[in-house]
Amino acid sequence: MAVVAKTDKMICLQCKVEMNHHCDKIVYNVDANDAGKTDPCLGGIVEEFHSCPKCGGAASRHA
Amino acid sequence: MEAGRPLFIPVILGTARMGRMSLHAAQLVTEELGKRAGIETDLIDIARLPLPTNDAGEAIKHADYSAKMDKADALVVVSPEYNHGYSGLLKHVLDSCLKEYIHKAVGIVGVSAGPFGGTRVIQNLLPVMREIGLVTIFWDVNFSSVQKAFAEDGRLLDESYIRRIDKFLKELIWMAKTLRQGREQISLD
Repeated sequence: MAVVAKTDKMICLQCKVEMNHHCDKIVYNVDANDAGKTDPCLGGIVEEFHSCPKCGGAASRHA
Repeated sequence: MEAGRPLFIPVILGTARMGRMSLHAAQLVTEELGKRAGIETDLIDIARLPLPTNDAGEAIKHADYSAKMDKADALVVVSPEYNHGYSGLLKHVLDSCLKEYIHKAVGIVGVSAGPFGGTRVIQNLLPVMREIGLVTIFWDVNFSSVQKAFAEDGRLLDESYIRRIDKFLKELIWMAKTLRQGREQISLD
């Protein structure tokens, strides 16, 4: 199963502005509910990391 | 990037051992950071973080520590060298966050009673920092024979450390500014 990156922007809960997607990382500490989200090519779940250009706050989500 | 937002660079004291000399090193680096315009800092003592030990990772995230890591633009980790390694509690604390660290700079201060100034613990910390998303700088500060570097009251006895810390912090701050710009303005896509 290929994992495709989401294209919708995350919104900073504090500033209500679009966040910048600046990083993808493989994470391995998955629970049973995440088993189907594993990218077989990469060996884990692709996690996206986003930062707010106004306050600098960080957020993440599964790709 | 919001104009005028200061850089926040907390200092993590990575040991809970009684009588730790690393406290003096951490206080000194915090003081030197605090003298710089546009920099906010805080000394985070891991001995004061009430993390449970019956679980690990982000499941035990501490709200205050997480908020400080989220706000941080860079970190200084002050670590003594115990049997060539870092303290288990430091790893436990570091592992409690992830998104808060991504693409942020980190500089490491090694502390030892022997002559090598924590070089081995710094080498051991580098792959950990990399895996949790921090970006290591190439300057370190090495407090060797730390019992001679500070008086019992924490007063610095060897002023040469001030210049070393200055070089270390200049590099860390440059990297913090650069990475903030990248995190907030440069898209991966």
